[in-house]
Amino acid sequence: MPYKSTIYCFLLLIVALIGIFSYKRLTFPFKILAWSVLVVFVLNVISQYFIWKYRNNYIILHIESLTDYLFYAATYYYLFKNKLIKRLIIVSIVGMSVFFFINALFLQPLQTVFPTYMYYPAQILFSLFSLLLFKEMLQYPLAINITKQSVFWFNTAILFYGTTMFFILGLTNYLAEHNLNDQFLFNFWYLIIYLFHIFIAFSFLTDNRDISAKDA
Amino acid sequence: MPDETLRILVTSTIAFFAGITGFIIYFIVLYRNRQLRNKQEQEQLQSAFRQELLKAQIEMQEQTLLYISREIHDNITQVLSFVKLTLSMAASNTEDQKQLKINESRDLVSQAINDLRDLSKSLSFEHITRLGLVKTIEIETNRLNKSGIIKMHLSTDGDIYPLGEQRELVLYRIFQEALNNTIKHSGAKHFKIGLHYYPELFNLTLEDDGKGFSVNLLDNISGAGLKNMENRASLIGAVAAINSSTGTGCSIKVSLNPLEERLYTDGYHPNRFS
Repeated sequence: MPYKSTIYCFLLLIVALIGIFSYKRLTFPFKILAWSVLVVFVLNVISQYFIWKYRNNYIILHIESLTDYLFYAATYYYLFKNKLIKRLIIVSIVGMSVFFFINALFLQPLQTVFPTYMYYPAQILFSLFSLLLFKEMLQYPLAINITKQSVFWFNTAILFYGTTMFFILGLTNYLAEHNLNDQFLFNFWYLIIYLFHIFIAFSFLTDNRDISAKDA
Repeated sequence: MPDETLRILVTSTIAFFAGITGFIIYFIVLYRNRQLRNKQEQEQLQSAFRQELLKAQIEMQEQTLLYISREIHDNITQVLSFVKLTLSMAASNTEDQKQLKINESRDLVSQAINDLRDLSKSLSFEHITRLGLVKTIEIETNRLNKSGIIKMHLSTDGDIYPLGEQRELVLYRIFQEALNNTIKHSGAKHFKIGLHYYPELFNLTLEDDGKGFSVNLLDNISGAGLKNMENRASLIGAVAAINSSTGTGCSIKVSLNPLEERLYTDGYHPNRFS
């Protein structure tokens, strides 16, 4: 297993453990997020096994594209106050779930193609949710320091993840079409994914059910 | 990969990353500004509320002192003067007449004592804290009914619950101001007070059968009085609706959500359910 993947696996494990150990004092959306990290960790381990055994992990990436979306969208659903956005999230969850099957069966088969068609809309929606949540945070500012707010860390993580993934996927396609080496982007992607999970860990460490209830 | 392509790639990636980071920093600054603004607004609101509460307390004190001085002058002094006169005249009377005068004087002194006791109750405007809104309004209603100035009707509806000291004080002050206006300006014979306690809504209704007025045609002074009631109501999270037209009396309805906690709530002014 390449060292970057190993570091990623360890990082996922650490973040998942932080989520598990702080599970009791987490608010409901962050409990969902804790589960998501655990699921991503398990999928990542299975993915490494598939690479070793079959030299192909597309099926896991397909599944991960859907689980990622469901978990993060559900987290956003509970973080937003705006009812219209909540409704939009539910519609997007149903839409993405249906599209997952259409994509896996007809557009980008499970075992042969990376599910970019799933990732593109997902990253756009994540970026959109993130910006909308930032806007909502400005509408209802809490009295506590922003760096001690779990929502800020989670939302920052998603903004970096959503926008950068979209950027990377676009450039990767360009480089592949022109037969250019994409190692730089590959490294950048790992940097972002590390950063993403470090921010998620911060969100677990700063989230507190009692503080959220008091400042709401 | 050609150098030029790599250079463009690295530059665009760094620019992109810097853009997102810049956005986050901008957001943090913006958020801190909002927090500061919110804090200032909250402090202003608390300060305004405290001032208004103090003003209401002072007005209630003034009103009480005015009432006491009037009562002492118009009632107790008169009664005691009469007693003095009766007793001084008794010396020249027969034994039976003396006894009669003494009995009369004793009754009058006893009435004066009762009136003084009632007055002593009114002396402390803080008894709203001890007795609550309903009881305090009831005392005021009985007092005015006894005085014959105006006929008061008090009705309550639902299970009575405490609204918090601050809110009850402000509501009582609104009641007092409305009653004062009615007695002074309306020429009303009846004044109805309704206290409706619903689980998620409290209503205070004050109605008189006076000459009424057109809300739009009020002068600045009278208009300010009504505006003051509306402002006070809004400070405790209530809404005051004032309805009147010439010849139809006046009605004031104050609606309040008892479950709503206000921004100004702090340790110095308990405003929770006791």
